[in-house]
Amino acid sequence: MAHLELDDVSAAYGTFQVLKGIDLSVARGETVGLVGPSGSGKSTILRVLTGLLPPSSGEVRVAGDVVDYSRASEIRRLRDRCAIVFQQYNLFQNLTVLENVTIAPTKIRGRKRAEVQPEAEALLARVGLSDKLGAYPDELSGGQQQRVAIARALCLKPEILLLDEVTAALDPELVSEVLDTIRGLAAEGMTMLIVSHEMGFIREISARVAFMAEGRVVELGSPADIFDNPQKERTRDFVGKILRH
Amino acid sequence: MDYTFQYGQVWPYLPYLLSGAWLSLQIAFLAFCGGLLIGTACAAMRSFGKGPLLIVVNAYVIFFVNTPQLVQIYFLYFALPDMGIYLSSYMAVLIGMTLNAGAYLTEIQRAGFESRRRSEMEAAEVLGFSRLQQVRYVILPHVAKVLFPPLSNHYILMTLGTSMAAIFGVEELTGRALNVNSQTFRSLEVFSVVALIYIAVTLVASVLLALLGRYGFRAKMRVV
Ligand SMILES: Nc1ncnc2c1ncn2[C@@H]1O[C@H](COP(=O)(O)OP(=O)(O)OP(=O)(O)O)[C@@H](O)[C@H]1O
Ligand SMILES: [Mg+2]
Repeated sequence: MAHLELDDVSAAYGTFQVLKGIDLSVARGETVGLVGPSGSGKSTILRVLTGLLPPSSGEVRVAGDVVDYSRASEIRRLRDRCAIVFQQYNLFQNLTVLENVTIAPTKIRGRKRAEVQPEAEALLARVGLSDKLGAYPDELSGGQQQRVAIARALCLKPEILLLDEVTAALDPELVSEVLDTIRGLAAEGMTMLIVSHEMGFIREISARVAFMAEGRVVELGSPADIFDNPQKERTRDFVGKILRH
Repeated sequence: MDYTFQYGQVWPYLPYLLSGAWLSLQIAFLAFCGGLLIGTACAAMRSFGKGPLLIVVNAYVIFFVNTPQLVQIYFLYFALPDMGIYLSSYMAVLIGMTLNAGAYLTEIQRAGFESRRRSEMEAAEVLGFSRLQQVRYVILPHVAKVLFPPLSNHYILMTLGTSMAAIFGVEELTGRALNVNSQTFRSLEVFSVVALIYIAVTLVASVLLALLGRYGFRAKMRVV
């Protein structure tokens, strides 16, 4: 059984149809890369998977459980299971690094601070930020902030991690530290769906890659299939443009 | 300049002047707090309200921001009695300053209300925050941080603005300075002492507010 499954999912912003029947699955422990031109609907898929945008039709399943988007409790459950990290880290500016990571488990989930804090510190150590626990987001570099955002997402112990262009806002020299963190997660068997423009990275880390255009998954295959031997014209076009520059 | 300063004649009046300064502080504080309440309510209405109430709020803000405060207090003190409403000079000044502050603080706070950040709220939402929790943990601390510096600036301006009360015979610092001046005729000494008291009062207030803003609300404020 797939860990995460989208079955003919469509979604719209008002009357503007963005996703037009998406079929996509991620197996347990698998990393799937999502690539495609700007505006093709990659972020929208992740918004559907975190309950920010309910689908207009189709089904989302997590470990076989169909998500009923009309029930607030099921959206909460979906958010427990799927965590997202955004391009613009979106850290809480008025909280320290450690508080950013612990606030949701303690204040929202009601777990004990004494229990959460060592976990948060371990996560922050893992992303290389042990010396920044008391710092505020505006005192950190973009790469450091993004790693805090990853630790914050992980502290809720999600089953599935969704990453949306997590390196796009970073200076080139900061990209690798974030990618290293993600590689570590993949190696530990985290189920991940990753949207990225870092084609080299997507190719290296993904078991499968989905190419999207205009709200549809045009082609799905191994990184070698998609990047070296694309079958569809639209994919060839995209890959050609990327490899050329 | 062959003027000889004779502060000796002014010193005995120092306690009298200082208790006047205390009254100035009280007026500023009361008017600011009242203005903050009015401003918060009006800013919320301007951001979220609609209909006739919104028109009333807008008219109020436009009137009080675009007319001199002195004229506003004159109106309360001299025009209202014609309509059968009598205010003491102290009350006229206090109400006038409160209404004036309310209008300015509406404008200031609206900017703060509108600076709440969508992206952080979205992050909070996917982390499982309810609407109320988003307000409590994300919006309010942010709004407080953004608003603290302009609010404290306005508070300092209001402290100095209380000197207007002297025109209506209220014995706050400037009013008492006028009294001392007419008894001693040492204008230069009296008003230099009074100026120093104002400077001391506003400096102390600025430093305290900056400390509070910086360490209480993480606002970007310079302490001196
Ligand atoms: N909040 C919104 N309201 C209305 N339309 C939106 C909204 N967000 C995105 N869209 C539109 O939906 C389409 C898909 O957007 P989406 O953000 O999913 O694209 P994307 O593939 O992530 O692109 P990018 O690579 O630029 O991030 C775009 O045409 C976009 O303009
Ligand atoms: Mg996007």
